[in-house]
Amino acid sequence: MHQNTTSNHRPRLAAVVTAYKRLLHGQHVVDRFLDGYGWAGTFHHPAMDVVSLYVDQRGEGDLSKERVDRHPTVKIYPTIAETLTLGTSKLAVDGVIVVGEHGTYPLTETGIMKHPHFEFFEQITRVFRDSGRSVPYFNDKELAWNWDWSKQMVDTSHQLGFPLQGGSSLAVTWRVPSVEFPLGSTVREAVSVGYGGMGSYDFHGLETIHCMVERRKGGETGVEWLQTYRGDGFWTAWQQGVWPQALVKAALCRSSTLAPASATFTDTFPTIEQMRALVPDPVAYNYQHRDGLRCTMLLMNGLVRDFTFAAAIEGQAKPFSTQMYLPMPDGRTTLASFFSPLVYNAEQMFLTGKAQYPIERTLLTSGLLIAGVDSAHQGMRRVQTANLAEVRYQPNPESTFWRS
Amino acid sequence: MLTRRRFVGYSALSSAMLAYRPLLHNGWAQTPTQRPLRLAILGSVYRYQSNMQTLADRFLVGYPYDGEWHMPNVQVVSVYVDQLARQAEAAPSPYQLAMTGAKVAPASSAKGIAGGLGRDLAVGAQPSHEKAEPISDLSRARSQKFGFRLCSNIPEALRCGGDRIAVDAVLTIVEQDDYPSNDRGQILLPGYDFFQQCVEVFEDEGHTVPYFNHKQLSYSFEQAQAMVKTANRLRFPLLAGSSLPVTWRLPDVDIPLGAEVEEAVMVGVGGFDGSDFDALEALQCMLERRKGGETGVKAVQLLEGDDVWAAGNAGRWSRDLLSSALSRSDTPLGLTVLDGRTQDLVASGVLPQLVKNPAAYCIEYTDGTRATVLMLNGAIQDFNISARVAGHGMVSTQFFLPPAPNESYSACLAAKIEQMFQTRSTAYPVERTLLTTGLLEACLHSRHKLNQRLETPQLAISYQPPAEPQYART
Repeated sequence: MHQNTTSNHRPRLAAVVTAYKRLLHGQHVVDRFLDGYGWAGTFHHPAMDVVSLYVDQRGEGDLSKERVDRHPTVKIYPTIAETLTLGTSKLAVDGVIVVGEHGTYPLTETGIMKHPHFEFFEQITRVFRDSGRSVPYFNDKELAWNWDWSKQMVDTSHQLGFPLQGGSSLAVTWRVPSVEFPLGSTVREAVSVGYGGMGSYDFHGLETIHCMVERRKGGETGVEWLQTYRGDGFWTAWQQGVWPQALVKAALCRSSTLAPASATFTDTFPTIEQMRALVPDPVAYNYQHRDGLRCTMLLMNGLVRDFTFAAAIEGQAKPFSTQMYLPMPDGRTTLASFFSPLVYNAEQMFLTGKAQYPIERTLLTSGLLIAGVDSAHQGMRRVQTANLAEVRYQPNPESTFWRS
Repeated sequence: MLTRRRFVGYSALSSAMLAYRPLLHNGWAQTPTQRPLRLAILGSVYRYQSNMQTLADRFLVGYPYDGEWHMPNVQVVSVYVDQLARQAEAAPSPYQLAMTGAKVAPASSAKGIAGGLGRDLAVGAQPSHEKAEPISDLSRARSQKFGFRLCSNIPEALRCGGDRIAVDAVLTIVEQDDYPSNDRGQILLPGYDFFQQCVEVFEDEGHTVPYFNHKQLSYSFEQAQAMVKTANRLRFPLLAGSSLPVTWRLPDVDIPLGAEVEEAVMVGVGGFDGSDFDALEALQCMLERRKGGETGVKAVQLLEGDDVWAAGNAGRWSRDLLSSALSRSDTPLGLTVLDGRTQDLVASGVLPQLVKNPAAYCIEYTDGTRATVLMLNGAIQDFNISARVAGHGMVSTQFFLPPAPNESYSACLAAKIEQMFQTRSTAYPVERTLLTTGLLEACLHSRHKLNQRLETPQLAISYQPPAEPQYART
């Protein structure tokens, strides 16, 4: 089923994306397989070939034609099945890259966009089943917009026995400082502070937390409940200490994008009053793990434009903290280089036939996102998460973030 | 201990910080009861996002350090802003104004530039209708908020209006603000002049204090050499340089101490006598760690235009190292901007199209090591290096410059400055900046001499690097 790493055969990959336009995930991910990218101090070309491409939504700004013109070994197919079979009757590739982000799809009643991760997965695994063979599967970002489908994707991957690897770049990008969460340590509280909106960047904040805390003593034990806070309720919870202020401060001290609260200053640490003025719509997902760990994912649009993490680790005098650094092509950089470690880890999966980090992390973060949006939709009620209490897994003891 | 004035000044900005006491004092094992170090800050211009504003503010409002918001146990007691003093000098006196029938400025603004806190000197007597009053100047507002004395000259800043030195350290941030240039295109920044004025006070009183000089020591190597000699003679700690040697690196790597370095290529952007100095400092802080330490530079040549590419083709600088350095960049231009794609700028051969006016600062070290700083405006927007190190292959990294307005790389530098002020010892030798100051001058001289190769016997500067890497890692 998997590639033999000792053979000279270059794995052949199928890419299935929602859209292939400038600065969309499809472009960032597939371009790196086609054109290569800077890695470990050289310009790295993956030892594998994208041979087929399916683009769900094209239209204005579509780059797929330019890409296949420049890379004639890639062929665009009109259906996902043909992209995998290369027009034959059986699976004809050694790996699948799926980007279900972006594009225009309907919203759920709670406001999450119904990205077609699951629909793509169904069509792809139908080919796997029909061919009696499965291949490694990379799924960018979350699994699906509803829990049952997310769970089904993971279950199917186990049933058919193919590695499924996904998640956010936040888990694998540079850290500033370049530190790893100590394996097997005891942690009572953890927070991430980020920006963006619910149903999108909350996923990045959740992955920021989980790539770290899954390394705690005993591994991941599941989540019992979650409560979302917004607006005035957010600030009340802040002042009541629903999450530790000291940890939020520690995380913010790792930010390099703190909005100056006073007009003529360039770098100041804000007071709570200043934060309230800067952040009109703060969001917090506060949730309880079965082993007692309490985590809080904060979105503070207006205050920061990066993702930071802090945790209280037993035996450490001060909070453990870092920034998950995203070189961001919004004027700060031109390349979204955080896709490089995401693609590099996908390559490693295609080459070794082993997921580099457990898909259960992504299952948990996908479920937490859904629970967070649900809690907000139910008037910020605490929601019990019996489904997430069952997500238990062990981390990869090796570090998979960008360090070289 | 916090003085009341400092307390009030700071609390106006961030009262919650004060409630969180552990943030106030950390680092360098200070106890909160220790008297704050009294600091004089001398600079060119206190304008929003000037080097002076970003660095001086760190000593007023604190800065991120080692995972905390660090409030230095430093009290800024006096500030001298060259722009204000020069404008005051150029402005007509109240007497002259009266003679011409112009209105004299109201008494309040004629009470010294600190609006009453300083001595009554003509420096602040800007009539309100004169455009000379720089509305962008922040030093007056800062003076009122934080209670430091805004001074009309450097000796006054050191003596805080008294007749003896009344500060424990001096921070100097000289930068371009309408200073003239010479025929080599060097801006005649008054770094040496500032230093000499301080030294005169030191010598008058037989008392010295630690001195930090931001960026190059002077436009003139001779002056820079005199500065280092003076500091050695009078035995006060002198530290200088740019933020690049101390900022975060992506990845977190250094040249292994004592390793043999064959060649290095540093890539950067900016103009002549601008951020080329930062690129030279970044290069030097890595290369000084090579086997034998720093032993000096025997020759330099600044190439421009097509000669830069020709030199690469002739093996004068390594294309592999350039490719490696560029693989660390997050800011390739050209097609990346157009449609987001990644690019191997070297293999694609696109560099000469992107970079209309390339420059190569070719450096021949005395021990045979070769280095080239390539300034590639149009190709990238960040600073990266790759070096070929015996037994370690190519060692490459990006000098990470977090974006404006925070520019938190200057917080990394503030920590080194504060450490020197508190401990009276420098984290890295000033000879590094003496050498980079001389390298820049020599390269610009080469440019002036129609890009000739120049022998540089004056740059036979030897020093040993700090054993521990000094860039931000925690």
